[in-house]
Amino acid sequence: METHSFNFLFKESIYPMAIVDHEMRFLNHSKLWLQDLGIKDSNIIGKTFYDVFPNTPEEIKIIHQHCLRHTVKQSKIQTITQSDGSQKWVDWQIKGWKEESKKLSGLLIVAEDITLKKRKEELLLNIQRVAKIGGWEFDFVANKAYLSDITKEIHELPLDYEMDLEKGLEFYKEGEHRDKITRVVNEAVTHHMPWDIETILITAKGNERWVRSIGECEVVDNKCIRIYGTFQDIDQKKRIELHNQEISERLTIATTDAANIGIWEYNIFNRKVTWDDNLYRIYGVTRDKFEETIDAWEAIIHPDDKIHCHNEIELAIVNNKKCTIEFRIIWPNGELRYIRSEFTISRYQNGVPSRLIGATWDITEAKTAEQNLKELLEVTSEQNDSLMNFAHIVSHNLRSHSSNLSMLTGFLTQEEDENEKSSLVKMLNDASISLNETVTHLSEVVHVKTNSEEKMKKTNLLKAIIAVEKNIRALLNEKEAVCNISVDASINIQAVPAYLDSILLNLFTNSIKYSSPKRKPIIDIKAEVKDDVVLFTFADNGLGINLEKHGKKLFGMYKTFHKNKDSKGIGLFITKNQIEAMNGKIEVESTEDVGTSFKLTFKKTIENEHHKKNEKDREHLYYR
Amino acid sequence: MKKIESTCIIDDDPIFIYGTKRIMKEMDFCDDILVFNNGQDAIDGLMDITAQGKKLPSVIFLDLNMPIMDGWEFLEDFVKIPNHNREKVTVYIISSSVDPRDVERVKDYDVVNNYILKPITPQDLQNVLAEVA
Repeated sequence: METHSFNFLFKESIYPMAIVDHEMRFLNHSKLWLQDLGIKDSNIIGKTFYDVFPNTPEEIKIIHQHCLRHTVKQSKIQTITQSDGSQKWVDWQIKGWKEESKKLSGLLIVAEDITLKKRKEELLLNIQRVAKIGGWEFDFVANKAYLSDITKEIHELPLDYEMDLEKGLEFYKEGEHRDKITRVVNEAVTHHMPWDIETILITAKGNERWVRSIGECEVVDNKCIRIYGTFQDIDQKKRIELHNQEISERLTIATTDAANIGIWEYNIFNRKVTWDDNLYRIYGVTRDKFEETIDAWEAIIHPDDKIHCHNEIELAIVNNKKCTIEFRIIWPNGELRYIRSEFTISRYQNGVPSRLIGATWDITEAKTAEQNLKELLEVTSEQNDSLMNFAHIVSHNLRSHSSNLSMLTGFLTQEEDENEKSSLVKMLNDASISLNETVTHLSEVVHVKTNSEEKMKKTNLLKAIIAVEKNIRALLNEKEAVCNISVDASINIQAVPAYLDSILLNLFTNSIKYSSPKRKPIIDIKAEVKDDVVLFTFADNGLGINLEKHGKKLFGMYKTFHKNKDSKGIGLFITKNQIEAMNGKIEVESTEDVGTSFKLTFKKTIENEHHKKNEKDREHLYYR
Repeated sequence: MKKIESTCIIDDDPIFIYGTKRIMKEMDFCDDILVFNNGQDAIDGLMDITAQGKKLPSVIFLDLNMPIMDGWEFLEDFVKIPNHNREKVTVYIISSSVDPRDVERVKDYDVVNNYILKPITPQDLQNVLAEVA
């Protein structure tokens, strides 16, 4: 029973094992023996080991003999090429046995298949080689260092190199890198802190190489007896990383510090927007005040530009084009800023648009500069015109008087007739009066040009009109003129009061001077406010003027168009100059024998209106 | 030296007219002097002469700066007057303007013979006589 049961257990053993006698003949074996070793012959009992394994190497045969003779245990790993050509790793464990009583002896052999284990080991080694990860340790008790082959390779050291801790630290680049590794090793030894750092190593061949060192310590009785860890060559990766970092930093400097460009992204599906810090600065809002949605963005845009922006974005998505938009925004403090944004559309592989990515910058300064330049150009060209005009006046009008004077004095010196002489003196007197008048006009013109805006002040338009009308009441009454004044008493304009009076007086006297003899003069005066200007109309039913013929010269100096003794051609010239000196404009419409209508533009006084407007804008945004 | 039959002065400055007339008389420049105070009056007057079938004055002294119709405008209208001897009329611009733009512009008008700078002198009129008569 006992023998039978033992035999059964042997057969069913979880190990592939066999028993042979002193002549290596099989006495018994487990089922796994045949199965694991791939033995086709199912009846090997009585056959020798070498019959079954004819390729048994000599060294294993020696082990067999040794174990038989000394009844000891030995093991040996052998690679076996199987019938299908694949390799199998077998760990032979051989033990000699002897039964003195029966004078029997033999071997117990266990053949462990370690193929899987071997493969894993190889794989691990491979991984280490590919990832360039090596191992290392320093044993403080034995004062010994161990470096794996890969660690040595990373150091470019010969494989038989003997390392110690001090030598190990010297491989790190002098300065910050060596200081860093020394510090973390000290920390590990004294405070048992693990580390994970990236530093530069100088290899045995003098090459610089980025490495990642991970270390831990083994502590016994609160004392560090060993430090160990891994060592990885990250040179390539690190250099790419550093390069990218450099590019990214450069980009940041370029966009943030130099150009002040903000970057944004808009996700079309969830309508979310993402801004960088710069963009928050550009839009004048803080992160906690911004909802990060497209609607929140649109709320910042000037009401008049919203539709334009919306349409441009839609259009860009449809046309799949790079797009530039310019629009105005209103900062939370009410300030108006000009913005330019360029963006492209990013799509999924199936072509469906997914995101907009853009860059935005503030162009307020450029816009303002452009505006200023335009204004400056206008002023310059106007001044140039006046200068030409002035030169003409000097060359013509002054000369005409001086030539008369010289001619008359010439006659006077030759004249002997007393009557003729006194007549010449009278003419000489007239000529000098005319010269004086012309000089007065010129100085008036120059005066207007040089007296700039600083004398401008808030002036009530209606009051000014009524005051002038009162002054020339006698003249108006004489001609039985009717004045219809329709000007709101609340309208205030920025004006030099003396200029305004002179302009109004000139318009009134012109209307009377050039009234039609066929009808009683009617003067219609109106004013309306439009944005920040006041449009002022002064219309009469007088003679009118042929603008096609005389339009260009109407506001010129010494231009007259009517046979009228009072015409000097200076009034409208000065009027125009005075209006322009107050940043205003004058235009004229006229039909001959129907009447003339002068349209003047003045700057409205802004006062507290500005404040109100901002409040209104804010309200508007708030209720959106 | 020959004498000119009829001369026309178009100018709004009474002193100039007085002076010119006086010099003309002194040197016996012409028989007859026509005076107009602006371009429009001159056109009207010359049209009248044409309507009566008379000859136009052979020399016109034309000022540039005048009210209602200036010298340039007069020239535009003058060349349209349908008179058989219009082409024999010599026009002299006579102006106080030393503005080079005015002097330059005169060259655009074939009908204009020369530009005389005020004040007019006996020598100027001598030259005219030499050219025309």
